[in-house]
Amino acid sequence: MSNGGDCKYVIHQNAYIKLVLHALNHKTSAVNGVLLGRLSGEVVEITESVPLFHTSQIGLLPPLEIALITIEEYYSSQGLSIVGYFHANERFDDLELGSVARNIGDHIHRYFPQSAVLLLDNRKLGALRNKKDAAPIMQLYTRDSSKSWKQVESTGTSRLTTKEPSANIVLLDFISSNKWNEIVDFDDHLDDISKDWLNSGLFK
Amino acid sequence: MVSKTEESQLRQLENQVENGGGGAWEYLSLVRKLKLRRSDKVLNHGLTLLNDPKKRSALGPDEWTLYEQVAIAALDCQCLDVAKDCIKVLQKKFPDSKRVGRLEAMLLEAKGSWAEAEKAYTSLLEDNALDQVISMRKVAMAKARGDILGAIDSLNKYLEIFMADHDAWRELAEIYLSLQMYKQAAFCYEELILAQPTIPLHHLAYAEVLYTIGGLENLQTAKKYYASTIELTGGKNTRALYGICLCTSAIAQLTKGKNNEDKEISRLAAASLEKDYKQISPDKVSLLGSALKIMKLQ
Repeated sequence: MSNGGDCKYVIHQNAYIKLVLHALNHKTSAVNGVLLGRLSGEVVEITESVPLFHTSQIGLLPPLEIALITIEEYYSSQGLSIVGYFHANERFDDLELGSVARNIGDHIHRYFPQSAVLLLDNRKLGALRNKKDAAPIMQLYTRDSSKSWKQVESTGTSRLTTKEPSANIVLLDFISSNKWNEIVDFDDHLDDISKDWLNSGLFK
Repeated sequence: MVSKTEESQLRQLENQVENGGGGAWEYLSLVRKLKLRRSDKVLNHGLTLLNDPKKRSALGPDEWTLYEQVAIAALDCQCLDVAKDCIKVLQKKFPDSKRVGRLEAMLLEAKGSWAEAEKAYTSLLEDNALDQVISMRKVAMAKARGDILGAIDSLNKYLEIFMADHDAWRELAEIYLSLQMYKQAAFCYEELILAQPTIPLHHLAYAEVLYTIGGLENLQTAKKYYASTIELTGGKNTRALYGICLCTSAIAQLTKGKNNEDKEISRLAAASLEKDYKQISPDKVSLLGSALKIMKLQ
């Protein structure tokens, strides 16, 4: 398989929650993150994620290059590679995948052809408390043969699922306890290198 | 922009207030002074103050400033009823006030009644064409509605009149960055460096944009501005240190190592990073080493 044409994507709970909490920690700006995992047959398993940036400088190359080099280096020793990209837009009703996200996605795609781009769906996040839905509150984009990122419709059997079916329940729990305050991203690390972008103590 | 002392002062006060140790008014005043966006905390603690009649009267004339601050915070948190109440109080105290009129228009904005808000701002501007805050609200509205190009247009017109508004230049730069209009963003940072040459953040931002645009000349200039950032911050800026390494690596790649580039500065930057990580983040030192190695090999 040379592209993300038919792959399924399964995201582990911790990776999923980390990304959403990161977005909630910075409600007034766009945020992004990197997805790590491996390909198992026709399934891309997203086992980890690293929140990257929250400042307006999301579109700048130097911090992104440093982050990708460092993150790739760290996780390759665990047999994981960068398998995708996560983005959350600045505005609530903006559900468009912007050019910055597409470009970063393209870059990742070069190294992992089955890569996915996930876009936070703010409406679904807002409705989470009322609608008991196990589906991830993100839109899935893959690159088809036309070399552009196309949204994968979530009808019928969804191609993006969380590994643990109760992930949204756990997420809601963390949201109500303001867990997002504890999230450290790469931006925080660059401002203060004592901050751990691995968030190793987050789920303990 | 907030200095390090101001930041630690803020954090201290914030912790104090959040843990019931008092000092709410000092915290709120600091947030106001530094023009920070801490709406949920401002709403929470400001409202507590306002709902206590003794504390409220102790504020004296500052009471009205607090009503305004809480109203704006409430709008930001979409607590429109709270905002409406605060605005009503202010309307009673200051009838026909333009400042309260501004708050009323902001309430329309928060409700999403864009056309009405637009009308309100336009009429307020008729009486006072040089009101910066209202002009800014129009830009903010355009941005909130997703009319980014409109926001850019308004902001450019604004800057033609108020060219000394550094926050506006920064906002414009950031909008350009979100659209990947890097050359235009670079222009904004050039204006900022001209106006405030000793602020390292402008040098850093300019360097990062130049690196992003790419090309040998830009990389070489970026390196210079990373260097000036390091100078202005006494070598304490991690991003600039990394930046020097990235530039050196990228330039070497472009020129295939043929030019006589100053490698000394990147060696110093790398050494400084290693020293900082050893001291502050020792578990990441070997990771740093690998990353630096990759950059030199590229």
